[in-house]
Amino acid sequence: MSLADGFGEQNLEDVVSVLVRVVEAAGAAIIFVGAAIAFVRVLLLAFRREGMDPFAQLRLDLGRFLVLGLEFQLAADILRTAVAPNFTELAQLATVAAIRTALNFFLGIEIKEETALVRADKAAAAAPATGAATPGTSAKPP
Amino acid sequence: MIATVSRDAALIVTAAGLIVAAVALVRTRRAPLALALLLDFFTAAALLHLAAPPSWPALGAAALTIAIRQLASNALKAARGARHR
Repeated sequence: MSLADGFGEQNLEDVVSVLVRVVEAAGAAIIFVGAAIAFVRVLLLAFRREGMDPFAQLRLDLGRFLVLGLEFQLAADILRTAVAPNFTELAQLATVAAIRTALNFFLGIEIKEETALVRADKAAAAAPATGAATPGTSAKPP
Repeated sequence: MIATVSRDAALIVTAAGLIVAAVALVRTRRAPLALALLLDFFTAAALLHLAAPPSWPALGAAALTIAIRQLASNALKAARGARHR
């Protein structure tokens, strides 16, 4: 008796489709939670006077949630290729995977750029403070 | 079941994006920032839409949303670069 006879192709398909659903749902949940957190943070920021920086940080965090969710969804796509039975489903799967991969790539680039901008803004904000402190300390008598 | 939940979630995220963009616009008076936030939420909604079993119209809509997001995001980046120069 071969392994395929013992386990059965139908059983394998069932197991993979359950796994696909679990991984896909996890990805969707991560994206939804990220959006919900960003929503609450925007509402909290609306009532505080903190300048513009928190919004940049907020976008960065939302982008990270999107990338993480996308990676789960891509994993589900890869699992789904194991059980896609016909050409139409396979073509749709390829389109979804292409969209997600492209978005993952662009989001990755954006997160890098946005992180650099936030760091530069923080450094620029810290520089005048340090600059103001240095003359004071150097003017101090020994 | 998954299709219904993910479509409802996408709808909620779209509505949240509209509220967030309005709040950011009122709070900062910076339209590009509000637009960027709106596009981020719309992208999240498009991804949630894609979590449902795919159909060609849904795929087209998601691809179009993401293409518009990239286009607007690049335009905003170019405008910001021009302002900094």
